[in-house]
Amino acid sequence: MNNTHESPRKVCCPAVLKGLAGLTLVLSLLVPARALAQAMSKSQQPEKTYAIRGAKITTLAGPVIEKGNIVMRGGRIVAIGADAAIPADAEVLDAAGLEAYPGFFDAVDQIGLQEVGAVAATVDSHELGQFNPQLNALTAVHPASEHIPVTRAAGITEVVSAPSPGGFGGGGGGVILGQATVINLAGWTVEEMMVRRSVAMVVNWPDFNTRSFDFSTFSVKERSFTEAKKEYDKKVQELTDFFEEARHYQQAVEKGSAQNYIRDLKLEAMIPVLKGELPLLVLADRAREIRGAVEFCDKQKVRMIVGSGADSMKVADLLKAKNIPVILGPTLRLSNDEDDPYDKFFTLPGDLQKKGIRFALASFDVEFVRRLSQQAGNAVAYGLSHEDGLKAISLYPAQILGLDKDLGTLETGKIANIILTNGDPLELRTEVKNLYINGRPTSTDNKHKQLFEKYSKRP
Amino acid sequence: MKNPSVLGTILLAGLFAGLLAPALAAQDSGVTLIENATILTVTKGTIENGSILIRNGKIAQVGKNIKAPEGATVIDAKGMYVTAGIIDCHSHIAVEGNVNEGSVAVSSMVGVGDVINPDDIDIYRDLAGGVTTANVLHGSANPIGGLNQVIKLRWGKDAEELKFEGAPPGIKFALGENPKRNNFNPPPGIPRRYPESRMGVMDVIRQAFVDAREYKKSWDEYNKRVAAGDKAAIPPRRDLKLEPLVEVLEGKRYVHSHCYRADEILQLMRLAEEFGFRIRTLQHVLEGYRVADEIAAHGAGGSTFSDWWAYKMEAYEAIPYNAAMMTRRGVIVSVNSDSAEEARHLNQEAAKTMKYGGMTEDEALRMVTINPAIQLGIDKRVGSIEPGKDADLVIYNHHPLSVYAVAQKVFIDGHIYFDREKDLAMREAQAAERKALLEKAKKAAEAEKKAGEKPGADRKPDSEKKPDGAAPPQGKDEKPKEPPKPPQQVAVAGFLD
Amino acid sequence: MKQSKNGRSLPVVLAWVLLLALGFGGLGSLQRSASADEPRYFALQNIKVVPVSGPPIEGATLVIAKGRIAALGTGVAIPPEAWVIDGKGLTVYPGLFDALSDIGLGVAAPAESAGGRGAGRGAGGPAVTPEMISRGPQDRPASTPWLEAADELKADDKKIETWRSGGFTTALSTPTRGLFPGQGSVIDLAGERPGDLVVKPAASVEVTLNGPGGFFGFPGSLMGAIAYIEQVYLDAEQDTAAQRIYAAAPRANERPDYDRVLRALEAAQAAGEPVLIPANTSPQILRGLVLAEKIKARPVLYGVQQGYAVATALAGKQAVALVNAKWPEREKDADPEAEEPLRTLRARDRAPGTPAALAKAGVRFAFYDGGLSGPKDMLKNVKKAIDAGLPPEAALRALSLTPAEIYGVADRLGSIDVGKIANLVVTDGDLFGEKTKIKLVFVDGRKFEIKEAEKPKEPPKGDLTGKWSLAFSTDQGQMQATADLAMSPGGSVSGTVTHPFGTSPLLSGYLSANSFTFTISADPGGRPQEFTFSGTVEGNSIKGHINGPGFATEFTGTRPGAALAAGE
Repeated sequence: MNNTHESPRKVCCPAVLKGLAGLTLVLSLLVPARALAQAMSKSQQPEKTYAIRGAKITTLAGPVIEKGNIVMRGGRIVAIGADAAIPADAEVLDAAGLEAYPGFFDAVDQIGLQEVGAVAATVDSHELGQFNPQLNALTAVHPASEHIPVTRAAGITEVVSAPSPGGFGGGGGGVILGQATVINLAGWTVEEMMVRRSVAMVVNWPDFNTRSFDFSTFSVKERSFTEAKKEYDKKVQELTDFFEEARHYQQAVEKGSAQNYIRDLKLEAMIPVLKGELPLLVLADRAREIRGAVEFCDKQKVRMIVGSGADSMKVADLLKAKNIPVILGPTLRLSNDEDDPYDKFFTLPGDLQKKGIRFALASFDVEFVRRLSQQAGNAVAYGLSHEDGLKAISLYPAQILGLDKDLGTLETGKIANIILTNGDPLELRTEVKNLYINGRPTSTDNKHKQLFEKYSKRP
Repeated sequence: MKNPSVLGTILLAGLFAGLLAPALAAQDSGVTLIENATILTVTKGTIENGSILIRNGKIAQVGKNIKAPEGATVIDAKGMYVTAGIIDCHSHIAVEGNVNEGSVAVSSMVGVGDVINPDDIDIYRDLAGGVTTANVLHGSANPIGGLNQVIKLRWGKDAEELKFEGAPPGIKFALGENPKRNNFNPPPGIPRRYPESRMGVMDVIRQAFVDAREYKKSWDEYNKRVAAGDKAAIPPRRDLKLEPLVEVLEGKRYVHSHCYRADEILQLMRLAEEFGFRIRTLQHVLEGYRVADEIAAHGAGGSTFSDWWAYKMEAYEAIPYNAAMMTRRGVIVSVNSDSAEEARHLNQEAAKTMKYGGMTEDEALRMVTINPAIQLGIDKRVGSIEPGKDADLVIYNHHPLSVYAVAQKVFIDGHIYFDREKDLAMREAQAAERKALLEKAKKAAEAEKKAGEKPGADRKPDSEKKPDGAAPPQGKDEKPKEPPKPPQQVAVAGFLD
Repeated sequence: MKQSKNGRSLPVVLAWVLLLALGFGGLGSLQRSASADEPRYFALQNIKVVPVSGPPIEGATLVIAKGRIAALGTGVAIPPEAWVIDGKGLTVYPGLFDALSDIGLGVAAPAESAGGRGAGRGAGGPAVTPEMISRGPQDRPASTPWLEAADELKADDKKIETWRSGGFTTALSTPTRGLFPGQGSVIDLAGERPGDLVVKPAASVEVTLNGPGGFFGFPGSLMGAIAYIEQVYLDAEQDTAAQRIYAAAPRANERPDYDRVLRALEAAQAAGEPVLIPANTSPQILRGLVLAEKIKARPVLYGVQQGYAVATALAGKQAVALVNAKWPEREKDADPEAEEPLRTLRARDRAPGTPAALAKAGVRFAFYDGGLSGPKDMLKNVKKAIDAGLPPEAALRALSLTPAEIYGVADRLGSIDVGKIANLVVTDGDLFGEKTKIKLVFVDGRKFEIKEAEKPKEPPKGDLTGKWSLAFSTDQGQMQATADLAMSPGGSVSGTVTHPFGTSPLLSGYLSANSFTFTISADPGGRPQEFTFSGTVEGNSIKGHINGPGFATEFTGTRPGAALAAGE
């Protein structure tokens, strides 16, 4: 394995990757984030090898291996298969009777950014101000958050931690919320956890609402369509203006001389977006807002992912034509429209699948991230295939976010995020017995288990 | 039978009866047989290839090889699972207006029974998730809240017909962050409401019961004077706030108390004991696992969430093992929803207790059927599949504790109130109706416009010039029925309810 | 003297106030002068009479004497002092009765934007202040049942004339704010002084279910409002008993409290005044029946637009329905993409069928305006109910005799019978006919001739649509206003005029050839007055006169925006 000590930011840049040939080289460059972190946190021990023996393996990259082995080293899977040889020095888990799956990937949440929702002091998921592209979720992820062990015990091994629009009791008004980061749910520091520092620019698309709920008075405010449209148009215009400003800045940076402009962190952070390197993750639910966002991204020639996407079936043709993927909000939610089919959100993933639109499922939450497999299970109950149900929370988010070379399936060369269960991982009663994150055995112990054990012992 | 027209009529009638048989027979004969099902009776084990005979809204017979009586509607449930209708011990559906009378610390004068809205679509949505009975509670803004209303989800019936006849009356209490209102701020200039601490919450409750005793005394004295023939006795004022509390003192009204922390749970139970009554259910009771022995000794039931936590400080030590742990220590436990969404998959939420704490299938199923029935005092009527009980049943296509189980048919009182096939079939008809109504309205508007546009014609009516809206239904403005739903909004229910 | 909103100078404000003060004087002189000058005897000859209390009579004579109907029939002698009116081709009906309104109370007309009476009723008013925060029923929040509309009347309320001109001679007018806003009064729609209008000062008690306190004051919920009303009636019952017993044995008891709210309600109860309960949707209607039972009142519900679904239940309880004739409509400025619930669409479609359903089920009902802007809309909407199956006779009864019965004045009003108050409307055809015109209205035997509103005579030449800057001079100096107008192809003009005292919608307006006229109602402080702008349009400029009460001036205007647009 390599020992390149390049900065993670540069390595993450797809433009750099594009120029490189050969899978091994690419892989060697993708590792450094972890390697760097390890180099800094550990003494110069040789990499340890871990192996899983005799598990039923669902790789999601090919047929199920009824009984097989997985070998991992340096955080990566180095061998997998029915006959994969287990090196003599490997620390081996005898997984007879267990099933191995890729760890689940929650494509949008606020893990590490929020501890207790109602306690503002523990919430770091949103900022003041309309445009904050310079913010990065990674700079606030709390590695000691109790949510991390609780969540991974439910089989989620990596997440996109993203700035959020605020919502109950705070925030609001933000449009460009900041950059989302991809982290493994294990590590002593964020540097150890980090998979990719910046994976998307989160945009909270302006609401187009004649009704809004005012939390300060607990009442619904009504306004006319004209008024709502005016405000919406104004917000979109402001966003457009901001992009224009960023473009001017980009030009100045790329073509001008450094003496002739003052460094602006906000505008600088927009450059990867303008270059098409960093997608916009646009949080939008209703058809008109999704259409507005698509039109905007088209004009701005930037990449777009729909986030939440409640009404994405209403704009399915458009999404399909533009090849825009959707990271869906929870299947366990209710429609605001009483005439919508009662099972609208249960069938939505299957509906998108049938339409040929790329999608993933995400929690958009903190404490309910652990319901991710339940969310997928419900989609399966209402028409999505079981395999797609699994992929919707593993391979598909990886693909949509451009991380499928590293994550999403169990294949040689990928980051070894593996769960071992005693059954179908989408089933409610199934337990995650063992976890490997970043190629290392990771405890399923957590605050809840500890309290369970402690109070079970109360005389 | 010689008269051909009479014969024709009879023949025609027969034909109609045949056509309408599936819809009418269940209503008319009142007899339905569900057969070939896996029956999870909840209380009497599982019957493979079993049948349930429904007669006049009640379960008449359960077992193998029941022959369909003549005229009975037969439902072949091969490969399906039947279980008792789900009972949600903590719901806020079907309430018109604000679910909280949050202005006062003691709001026992109000009752959700007064404002049941049978048109709330959440009734149907929850019904489609297998819920047949719900305990509709007042919100949790007050140490002593309003009166609750147990309903059956008889979608399509009016408010009074939804009410669970004979269900014991109850009242909502609430402890902790919500009644002390730490997570809320009144607008500028409006004073905060007492209490703002857990000390104050207990004080408010204790004071209210002191007042209730005094109130009772004043009536007792008055009645004594009247009985003694005193014509000069002035009757005390009837107090709608204190009357329900007197009923609580007399054991005639159940207390369903929202609570989180172990300390407040204990305090409330002790306070109740001080006044000689018992808490019927502890709602949420997220730290119940810490005082499970005390809860069991007091005799309260615990109605909790499956896996909610960390949405506020008092939920930070909530654990999904709670239901199982309380059960193991002898508490009757139910898993509730507190949310129209969550209610749709209470069967799934119950299933989690198998993973978190090792409940058996039966124990898990009990959490959303017979246990909430016991807690609500309606277990003689509902909660399990037993002869004599109400035919409130759900037919699932998978085991109800599986994530893949989808409710196919839901019976209440022997009638099918939800049928997935019919729901699917109805969707096109609804779209067509919508289109027709919009078309009709558009035409009418155009005709009216045309009439007003002719030069020299009557002046345009003023109403067309001034912006005036369609009349919204009364009272609707009070409840934030549709708060914008940011993806993170899921836990908001826990603050309001 | 307060500074006007947009910060105009004080002299300008003063100028307007002065102008309007002049206006008051002028208007006063236009009012009906001393009644002695007016004839008190009329005879309508050879007319068709629809008495409502009986079958129609063709070719009849109807004699009015000193405010009352003196004689009616085919062979009736005409007194020599009578002013004889040839009724050939005319029909006379009882004057129409608006069963729930704020006519005469001087409530600003456009305030009904929330959907009119029965919807936002009881809500509104000033923002919540700490003093208004009630901490329970004992604080008697927003309760003023002692108020009687009769004591709040303004004889010069523009609405009186508006409704009278459309055939309405009578209304139940009630205070509008609060949970117990006050008592309704039956008024006749003509009179010089407020007292002249009043037929029955205390005719109804109304409750609303809109708490004043939002989330923070009691009641803050619908169930709170219901509980409050129930508690108040329980208290009233106790208070009645307490007073009676205390009066008999003052030394045996503590002195009962005096509570103005209770005393007013007890008096109303004793007088048999109906309690009006709001209920529009079918669940609300059924709930209203329950509430009536709880407060031991005869159920009289208002709103009732979904009565079509629960007519049998209403009949079963022998309920009375006041039907809001402002049928639900789609919001004018609604989101075109918003999919309205099927439930809403159905209710909108079926609401006009409610009166027919009520009639069929045998439910007594009357119509009220629900915030409709005028009698024409009201009659048009009643016509919609007729089109939906309501027999025309039943419609007429619901606009005359039934409301009179509901409010206990059927012995003097509501039908054409000898001895009753001569409240009449004379038309040139069927009352609900599209082309029928109202010719005469009698209120308390006083005759009002109905002038037809002016209409555009020719198709418009030019277009008034756009934003106009208007300038005009007064003896106080130059003033400015802007008019934001929209013209339909037919020539009717709508929009707003922004002037130093705010923004007023056009009450009416049209362009006939190149001559326009439009009217606004401006309220400089005190009460609204009408101002009419008339003149001609040439391209992007207009000129003409502004006329108001005791006020006239010339004005010019330009449309700068359009010129700019044309130049591009």
